[in-house]
Amino acid sequence: MEQIEEKALCMWTNKRKEEEGPQRLDRPAGVPVSTTTPAEAPRKETINMSTPARPFDTEPVSARGTGPAALGKNVTIKGQIFAREDLMIDGEVEGNVECQEHRLTIGPNARVQAGLKAREIIIHGSIQGNVDATDKIDIRKEAKLVGDIKTSRIVIEDGAYFKGSIDISKAAATRPVSAAAGVQPVVTATPAASTVNNTAAAATASAK
Amino acid sequence: MKFGAGKGIFPKLSPKENVPPTITRQSSGFDQFCSVLRDSQDLSILDMSGASQANITFITGYGHRISSDDIIGTMGECFGKDFLENQGAASNAQRFLDQTLMFPDSSFDGILVWDALQFLKTPLIEQAVLQLLRVLRPGGQMLMYFNANEKASQIPVYSYRINDHRTVTQSPRPGSVYQRSQHFNNRVLEKLFERAGSIKFFLTRDHLRELIVRR
Repeated sequence: MEQIEEKALCMWTNKRKEEEGPQRLDRPAGVPVSTTTPAEAPRKETINMSTPARPFDTEPVSARGTGPAALGKNVTIKGQIFAREDLMIDGEVEGNVECQEHRLTIGPNARVQAGLKAREIIIHGSIQGNVDATDKIDIRKEAKLVGDIKTSRIVIEDGAYFKGSIDISKAAATRPVSAAAGVQPVVTATPAASTVNNTAAAATASAK
Repeated sequence: MKFGAGKGIFPKLSPKENVPPTITRQSSGFDQFCSVLRDSQDLSILDMSGASQANITFITGYGHRISSDDIIGTMGECFGKDFLENQGAASNAQRFLDQTLMFPDSSFDGILVWDALQFLKTPLIEQAVLQLLRVLRPGGQMLMYFNANEKASQIPVYSYRINDHRTVTQSPRPGSVYQRSQHFNNRVLEKLFERAGSIKFFLTRDHLRELIVRR
């Protein structure tokens, strides 16, 4: 009994040391941390307890669930915004907003007079300007959009105000009309999901 | 029994809610309109019933481009409660035309006007028709509905949602019942669209007159 307690204490001590040590960053992402010596390796329960499962240390901060960058409702910006992460606008913007490869959310309090460009755009607020989404545009019922839309897919709720034209890219137009039956088209993997798959593949390759 | 009595877009209103029910109806006019959608590519269509997922999906499903505008909503903004009275003011009428039909000449191959024109009175309706013909390409077509019930004066305002090439769902807009400007019989409509290339009427069993107008 005393021996078990001693080993458990040793295990937690090792973990703390490992977190403080610089060698933690050298391990490949996705590979479980092992604090046991080769002699202790057969004790699988020890390995499980000592792996805090932080395989995605190399991911950008926003992808770990801390939410998108945000412009609050009392913020006014005139000019151009370029974002390399998801962005939420709930204030007043005049100019251009680009979030290439990322999601742009226009909040319910937003008043935007700008051209918008992003991978995915979700609109709750008011926009006057052209909107270009490479993947999808989602116009919610409280939204007001005056401008032209260019996208692959569009979802528009009843009650949303839209005035302008919609240009669906050719690739989307040749797909079966599944949205008519209320079925969402197949969603492609997000960059985050790709990272997970790649990491898992790398881990498998290194294990071999 | 009177032809069409008890059917069509004037069903009995519920005494409590005073809201007409949603109706799904077959539309020969829309079927005719769709024949062009099926046979052509890269058309530009204007839908004047406001943006809806069903209509956008249907039109873009054929590979066409769709423009959306809510002509009834704009009428409400421009003319307010005294709907027909306020159409007489030149400033209101001009504001309405500026907001709804200020597209470049020959912008569209097809226009889904639905039933909006019956709420406009002379001379605004004539100006609106001229604008519609201006933004329509030569050979392009417009689909419109007019209530054919001579006795009706108050008409519920509907949103039109496309189900397929033959059926359309009419959903009442909450609280919107407008006074019709006049009764539109075939003679009135022929005169109204005398500058168009052709007019085709479709007989229906309900109180609705369907019309395809070609430029």
